[in-house]
Amino acid sequence: MTTTNTHDPSSFDRIRDAVIGQSNSRRALLLMAPLIAFELLVFVIPFFILLRISVASGSADLPYESGTWSLDAYSSVIENILSFDLFWSILVYSFVLGGAVTIVTVGIALFYAYAIWRSNGLVKSLLLFSVILPLLTTLVIRTYAFTPLLSPTGTVNDILLSLNLVSEPIQFVPGIVGAGIGQLYIVLPYAVLAIYSVMATIDWDIVEAARDLGASRPRSVVEVVVPQVMPGVIVATVISFAWSVGSYAAPGLLSENLTFAIYIETLLLTDQRYPVAAAFSVIMLVLMLISTGVLFAILNRFGGDFDLA
Amino acid sequence: MSEITLHDLEKQYGETTAVEDVSVEIRDGELLCLLGPSGSGKSTTLRMIAGLETPTSGTISIEADDVTDQPAYERNTSTVFQDWALFPHKSVLENVAFGLKMRGMSKDDRQKRAQSMLERVQMGGYGDDDPTNLSGGQKQRVALARSLAVNPDVLLLDEPLSNLDKRLREDMQIELREIHEDLEETFVHVTHDQDEAFTLADRIGIMNEGELVQVGDPDEVYENPKNRFIEAFLGDTNFVDAVVTRTSSDAVHVDTELGTELVLPTDGEPDVDEGTGLTLSLRPEILSINGEGRPEAAGKQPVATDGSAHNAVTGTVENVIYRGSTVRYSVSINGSSMFAERTDASTGAHAAGDDIRLEWDGEDALAFSDDGTRVTL
Amino acid sequence: MTSTLHRETVENRVFRASYLALLVFMLLPLFVVVVTSFSQAGRLAFPPESYSLAWYGEFFESTRWLRAFTNSILIGVGTALLASFLGVTGAFGQELDTDDSLGAILQPLVLIPLLIPPVVLGITLLMYFSEVGLRGSYASIILAHTLWATPLVYFVMRSVFSRFDWQQLDAAHDLGAGPVRSFVHVVLPNVKHGILVGALLAFIISLQEFVMALFLSTPSTTTIPVLAWTQIRQALDPMVSVVSTFLILISLGAIVIAAIATNLEWLSKQLS
Repeated sequence: MTTTNTHDPSSFDRIRDAVIGQSNSRRALLLMAPLIAFELLVFVIPFFILLRISVASGSADLPYESGTWSLDAYSSVIENILSFDLFWSILVYSFVLGGAVTIVTVGIALFYAYAIWRSNGLVKSLLLFSVILPLLTTLVIRTYAFTPLLSPTGTVNDILLSLNLVSEPIQFVPGIVGAGIGQLYIVLPYAVLAIYSVMATIDWDIVEAARDLGASRPRSVVEVVVPQVMPGVIVATVISFAWSVGSYAAPGLLSENLTFAIYIETLLLTDQRYPVAAAFSVIMLVLMLISTGVLFAILNRFGGDFDLA
Repeated sequence: MSEITLHDLEKQYGETTAVEDVSVEIRDGELLCLLGPSGSGKSTTLRMIAGLETPTSGTISIEADDVTDQPAYERNTSTVFQDWALFPHKSVLENVAFGLKMRGMSKDDRQKRAQSMLERVQMGGYGDDDPTNLSGGQKQRVALARSLAVNPDVLLLDEPLSNLDKRLREDMQIELREIHEDLEETFVHVTHDQDEAFTLADRIGIMNEGELVQVGDPDEVYENPKNRFIEAFLGDTNFVDAVVTRTSSDAVHVDTELGTELVLPTDGEPDVDEGTGLTLSLRPEILSINGEGRPEAAGKQPVATDGSAHNAVTGTVENVIYRGSTVRYSVSINGSSMFAERTDASTGAHAAGDDIRLEWDGEDALAFSDDGTRVTL
Repeated sequence: MTSTLHRETVENRVFRASYLALLVFMLLPLFVVVVTSFSQAGRLAFPPESYSLAWYGEFFESTRWLRAFTNSILIGVGTALLASFLGVTGAFGQELDTDDSLGAILQPLVLIPLLIPPVVLGITLLMYFSEVGLRGSYASIILAHTLWATPLVYFVMRSVFSRFDWQQLDAAHDLGAGPVRSFVHVVLPNVKHGILVGALLAFIISLQEFVMALFLSTPSTTTIPVLAWTQIRQALDPMVSVVSTFLILISLGAIVIAAIATNLEWLSKQLS
């Protein structure tokens, strides 16, 4: 019998061993290190710089005066908001658009996820495909496609006019309706998948059991399915809300109003007022965080017992 | 083919201690079974020998070398895993040759050796198969061949038979035993099944709650268990609570829930006080029913019906369970329940409701103190 | 009894009509894009009055679009490589980590960038990259896209690794394979399809991402979505539809590759 007791690890392994020793947790740390370093360098530090710039003073010829400390940017944004000026209207518009889109998105996503869950075979594949394909298409294109459809001379108005449902074209685009539909189309696929992934784990038998106990079908779904998919609904709500309040492409292309995202771009690239842009971003992030927290608390409350009666 | 020494081995996961103070010398060429219930730390001990877990403290040496800080891939130990852990993306032959490849053996040599190992475990015709297609018994053989191929100092077996059905498991036990005798290598085998341990082991180490409670030859641990846990774990027995009522120069007399005073003979002056609480273990094989020979104790004299060590209780048969080669009687004695067995189902059968008498030699009963340790009176 | 049946039939019809309407809503914009790309006229209208391949010809003659196309592919590949490396090593490390204390911080840290409006991320990174002198480089866009792509690769890999039988890694160590060789010979062959799917996802995300790229790109590093955006704001001609059609086709191709990869795996399991 050949004995092969001698170990001959490759020199590469030997170098690795010298570096990382033998402890499993040190090896784990070494493997996680690149990701942690990346998140620190490209996410955490940049955010501290954003915070730092938001408390620097502005400058006439530079984007900001480095090395200075000042709360001017915050006070000017807050004063502007409190006097119901431009920042106030931008803030309200962003939140109204975000809130409205979120409510409609989550409602439709629940229904669509349910339809995917209940269907099978080709229909199921087609419905899933219809969710995944837009997800993989750039939001520029997703938004752009609504222009020929929704403009006053667009396809939808042509149809409405020819059916005599309206006497003159409705101006969806540019306008808040167009922006809302565009934004809805951007976030809907994510919301559907978030809810569907939870729904797919539910046993249909529980709905049958509810019906067996005398609930009508829509009612049994609302009473039994909705509470169970609450984790998915919460994810869908948070994503829809965060992205819609901060929406840029849909309102930029399909409406003439300013959302905070669009205005920040102007502040930064056109006006070169870095501290104000940074301060406004920070304020909006804080407001979004608070409202998301409130939404989360409300939904969690409903999570256990969804009593409509 | 080596001697392995574990010294004060300890393993902690956060707050929980999985293994505590384990010290044992595993002899060159022996087959040691680590036996214990799940969670007793036996697999953790095995994984520390393999180098797959790092001990919190203590040392492991193979021959004279301290290998405690060596990672698994530098130790010449080899493990057969519970689920066999065959590589699904490699053929059976590639699986067996893997360890040789890692040791830098040339392709021709390692294939030749892998093939001969497969033949050793009667899997010579399966080299090109996908391991996921094999049956449990076949996977078990391939895993064994894979581990033996690297010619390890010690073969570690982590409950590899527990996922096989009973019949196959018993065949594999015998086969493992033969392979061990053939190779004369050191094997450490972990199991929770006492029958398996008794079938395979040269020595048995019994583990409980992270500690190695007793190590010894199979008959030694069975007949001379160190504590009540081992007595209960190694086989069914009747535990009877007792209180010492009086002692004499060569016996201890106890009062029990069975209603009769029992006698435990001693060698010389007994070392217990009156009023001490004891637990007696009365194994079914020491009990004779209505004076007939004791089952499973061939060669021994029938219980002496006189003499100072004689004990007898009477009761009523509550139910009768046929268990193939034996019959088990559940007997109600003074309100408590005991069981007795007889090997031959055809003779002297008793039915529920019959009165029977159980007798035993007081020397065969084992006594344990309240904290579970064995008491030799 | 009959009235109940009748009610359920009505319910079924309403239900089916509703989700089919939504199906149309989901696919219509993409359909519009593809159809208008074959338009002959210079004005965007749906349905177009006449069809031709004229705008496809324009595309292949436009150095601006071809340049943007090359940029997009370059940045997409860079993002896919970086995000896969970070996601795979991070998820693998977390799997090996016994006490999981670091993982408890890592998981939310990786996820949070996804929940911050891209405009805020874009300006944050713009300010940062200006400070560190990366402004206008390919690297700045690749890093920004990686911030979004990594969480997806990471979560795909977490789920792939959670299905991996880790005893195999023990077995490899036990048979003498060191950390690198056991990963290459034992872990990698079992998770390679997952890595492929993760890398494709990262590539698609980079290919489609637009807001961060808008802030970070310069004329020489402009990507397709950014050029499409500036183009749309100037004139609504079908060129963007042509480009979009290409992007949709690339995404479809990626889905097909991913489906083949995962299905081949499935198929080989069925056959064995």
